[in-house]
Amino acid sequence: MFTPGSKYFLGLTGLSFAVAVLYLFLVNPTDLGAIALFGLSASGATVAGFSLFTRDSDVYSAEEAVAAGTVSPASSVWPMILAFGTALVLLGLVTNPIVFVLGVTVLVGGGVEWAVQNWAEGASFDGAYNQMVKSRVLGGLEYPGLAAVGLGVIAFLFSRVMLATSKTQAPVIFIIVSTIVLIIGMLIGFKPAVLGKKVVGIAVLGGLLLAGAGIASALAGERHELAVAAEEDHYSAEHRECGEEESEHYDHLANNTVSLRSSVTATVFVKDGKIYAEEVGLKRKVDTLTVRRSNNTSFLFRNLDEEPRRLVVNLGSEKVAETGVVEKVGTCTQLTDKNQEQILTLLIPKPATAEEPYSFTVPGIEGQIKLVVP
Amino acid sequence: MDTVSNVNTSRHRIRNTFAGIAGSVFLASCATNAPQDTFQPKGPNSQMINDLDMIVFPIAGVVGVLVVAFACLTFYKYRDQGQAIPSQSHGKPVVEIVLTIVPALILSVVGVFTFRTIFDLAETEDTEMIINVTGQQWWWEYDYPAQNEYGITQPIISSGQLVMPVGTKVLLRETSRDVIHSYWIPALNGKKDAVPGRIHLLRLEADKPGIYAGQCTEFCGLSHANMRMETIALSKEDFAKWVANQQKPYVSPAEGTLAKEGEGVFLNQCIRCHQVNGLKKADGTPAIAAPDENVYAGAAPNLSYLMTRNTFAGATFDLLSKNCRKDVWESASEAFGAKYLSGVSEDCLDQNKLRSWLRNAPAMKPMYADPAKLEVSGGKYRGMPNLGLTEDDIDKLVAYLLTLK
Repeated sequence: MFTPGSKYFLGLTGLSFAVAVLYLFLVNPTDLGAIALFGLSASGATVAGFSLFTRDSDVYSAEEAVAAGTVSPASSVWPMILAFGTALVLLGLVTNPIVFVLGVTVLVGGGVEWAVQNWAEGASFDGAYNQMVKSRVLGGLEYPGLAAVGLGVIAFLFSRVMLATSKTQAPVIFIIVSTIVLIIGMLIGFKPAVLGKKVVGIAVLGGLLLAGAGIASALAGERHELAVAAEEDHYSAEHRECGEEESEHYDHLANNTVSLRSSVTATVFVKDGKIYAEEVGLKRKVDTLTVRRSNNTSFLFRNLDEEPRRLVVNLGSEKVAETGVVEKVGTCTQLTDKNQEQILTLLIPKPATAEEPYSFTVPGIEGQIKLVVP
Repeated sequence: MDTVSNVNTSRHRIRNTFAGIAGSVFLASCATNAPQDTFQPKGPNSQMINDLDMIVFPIAGVVGVLVVAFACLTFYKYRDQGQAIPSQSHGKPVVEIVLTIVPALILSVVGVFTFRTIFDLAETEDTEMIINVTGQQWWWEYDYPAQNEYGITQPIISSGQLVMPVGTKVLLRETSRDVIHSYWIPALNGKKDAVPGRIHLLRLEADKPGIYAGQCTEFCGLSHANMRMETIALSKEDFAKWVANQQKPYVSPAEGTLAKEGEGVFLNQCIRCHQVNGLKKADGTPAIAAPDENVYAGAAPNLSYLMTRNTFAGATFDLLSKNCRKDVWESASEAFGAKYLSGVSEDCLDQNKLRSWLRNAPAMKPMYADPAKLEVSGGKYRGMPNLGLTEDDIDKLVAYLLTLK
């Protein structure tokens, strides 16, 4: 039942798995060593499976293969694809990591395909039988792989279209396209016999349209405000602007999720040039808010002023350990348009000192809301 | 003969077991000293639930008894006696329709009353006072945001015992620092989960002054059973006194006293996690506790005015000795406030419990407080560890803690 090759790899699998389990309990469960050992075990199991499945690559051991004899190898595109992958790898080394990863992927995929094809062609004189042998090995990998690549290409091309069109046009396009896809899908589902031959035509047409639109959109570039926001580094995690807003292209509709909105402890308002707050459960204005120590506490900022505003929280100052420089501690919301809201979640581990009390302020607005951590 | 005897013995055992269980249930319902009895409402919210129970339970009881009786009768009457299998038929439209309509009608009636009660209990527009309630393994923290109409000019923070005025619509704003807990004072309202990252609202209102006991009702880990709480209802006058006391400035013990030495021990040991508002270090700067650096959930009970509470360690243990506790718990409504506000005196302090706790806290309440097993929590504790205090230090600490009132 077990071939000699598979026995070796099964042994490796069992041994490495046993060592991994021992390592897990006796040495360190969070260490990378356990992951490496389990990886070795998984790799061994995979190779053992292949070895078992292909009878140690000895396709002639099957009676029907022996009866069918062997055929000359057919021409193959895989060497060219491997060469293309090598070129991508080299190009990626000097340009972009994504190109490098793409090259490695092409190399690995092409190498596997070529190797299996070569192995299968030695199976018999019957080309159809050899193809069946190859499909038996690669069929389970090719279709999901091609589907994943296809979906990725569709998503990428469609995202180019969405990013190039305006905020108002994009939803309309999305609705129209998704409706068309749904209708065609339903027609195919209800009338498979009638539409059977037309499906390929529709799919090709749709693919060409998407490819054309995607390439055209990619060449045109992202819409103006996104391009400017990228130039201004708005997508960086370090981006902080708690003073006067320098960009016109902030998120004007940055309302937060229903889940967050339902868990706020208080709402801070700005109206007619004044700042005030309302606590959940109390229907009156307050000028002091309590923040529980070491507990994520969310506040809703609602701008009722004519001008766009942002909420800033001032949490005193602290000395930076590395530089010894004393810096202000705090954060803020994005700039928020009139009648818009944003959430600010705070985690404050210690109460304020008398010299530096915590507070909410809004740049350009007088007054403050005191924050007390009991 | 032996076989017949064994069968009879088994039947007797089963009968006796059932009789024992039924008798226990019946006797349990007769208990008078049951502070967490859901059928003894002490406020309008729990009264609403009780009123609903009085409608639903009889209906459910009658239905339940009828179903069980009918099932038993059927099992007995049609038990296998070797008779032929009766003729089989499919469906009885009349029976099916009746058995669909009758439960639907019953559920509709119950649903109307239930939904009305649920919406009434969720009402918050008439709130008169808010208190923040934060659950943490395995204790409850209460903080009172500034509310000038009650004399709360600066936030008050406490733990274990929630103090509130009678006849006042109090809204608890619950959340949790670690896992899901559930706040339940059966005499005052139903349960409400405290969920990390969310604010859940629960109304409380007490008719009379007194102590109302409760317990966390969402399994929350090792010491879930020891996560208790008590709500103290005081008359409005007494509540004002309590508020004034909680806001008075910290007074350091007199120089040369044992308590002053205890303050030093506190500053050396306890301040790592426990805050005492107003306490200052030797250099005159405020002593700020750092539970965020030592406790997994980031907080530990604030011990300001500790001896104004009757309990400690998540309301698991009494600060009061047995007799003093009985005196407070069983006092009449009119006298309750004065007795509670007198706090814990040296005579009434249950010294054994407090000293045992200071000597080795994890031995009294199961907590993940073994220093050798803190790798999963990044070296942080989930409860108070054994600090290795000397008996001398414990004497000093007890003397100091007695001054916190």
